[in-house]
Amino acid sequence: MSAGAVSERRAAFRAGQLAILPSLPGTAAWGLICGVAMVKAGLAVPWAIAMSLLVFAASAQLAAMPLIIAGAPLWVIIVTGFITNLRFVIYSAALRPYFTGLSAAKRALAGFFMTDFTFALFMRRAQEGSLPLRHRDSWFAGVCANNYLTWQTCSITGIVASSYIPTDWGLEFTGTLALVALVGPALVARPALVGGAVAGVVALLAHALPYKLGLFCAAIAGIAAASLADSLRVDPPRDAGVAQ
Amino acid sequence: MSEPVAGIALAVVIVGLALSTFLTRTSFLLAGQRLRLNHHIEVALRYAPVCTLTAIIVPNVLLHGPVYDFSPLNPRLIGVAGAALWLCWSRNIVGCMASGMLAYSLARLYL
Repeated sequence: MSAGAVSERRAAFRAGQLAILPSLPGTAAWGLICGVAMVKAGLAVPWAIAMSLLVFAASAQLAAMPLIIAGAPLWVIIVTGFITNLRFVIYSAALRPYFTGLSAAKRALAGFFMTDFTFALFMRRAQEGSLPLRHRDSWFAGVCANNYLTWQTCSITGIVASSYIPTDWGLEFTGTLALVALVGPALVARPALVGGAVAGVVALLAHALPYKLGLFCAAIAGIAAASLADSLRVDPPRDAGVAQ
Repeated sequence: MSEPVAGIALAVVIVGLALSTFLTRTSFLLAGQRLRLNHHIEVALRYAPVCTLTAIIVPNVLLHGPVYDFSPLNPRLIGVAGAALWLCWSRNIVGCMASGMLAYSLARLYL
């Protein structure tokens, strides 16, 4: 690779690092609380750190916690984690068109580091047309690097210093607000608004389903409703860059 | 039930969770051309972020444990309203989180 190509890649990586920066306070607060929650549930510190580094999926980690403490069968815990993470299958399918042509190793890495935040940011930029034209993988790597480092630093801080961190300030709500900031601007388009409304209502109605299946059902229902609303519009539907 | 999962069994659980998470995250990314979705579905997936994130946010705000909380005095609802108000004139994420946390904390302290 030429020197120019390398510096172009670096520039894309840096741009990604900058793009995720504003969301990081939300990631940090939620990581901290997640770390504290694992230890408070009864998991020993070294195990909690290993889980945070390797699994890197807060909802699955927290779903596994009561099962580990209750001594549930191993396969039940692992299947619970898998079902809790089913929304990542949707994310993976949505990202696929943008990552074809990359080596399998790079696609695997992009998958490992993908989270609700990094996925939503990538898709928003892709749909606005504000992704860099070249080296999108480097841009996404920059986003994920900062997101992973921030999450792990804060999660491990929470694990190690669990007894010093206030859990009654509602810090974890910052994570929800960061998601609101990502979603809010997208809701001005009518199909997105319809999809969001349907997803929200289904999520509320189905919250009692086990394994966070309610979230998965809500996502599917919302996506179906949004594309239906899109096809019913008078003006031709925009492909929003997906099929390019 | 029985004793907590510990030792080798706990290591197996952690590696198993890591692998199953990896499997969901890389499913379609690694399948490449072998697992191609219908074009209409691929186009519909552009609504995936809005729908999944809303499905995460709404229960976080309107559920208190297993109980619905539709009261207008629900501090989380007030917090989201504060964040949304901010988003009406700026897309700055830090400002959105700050105004949301401010509204949320004030509501928790004084309502």
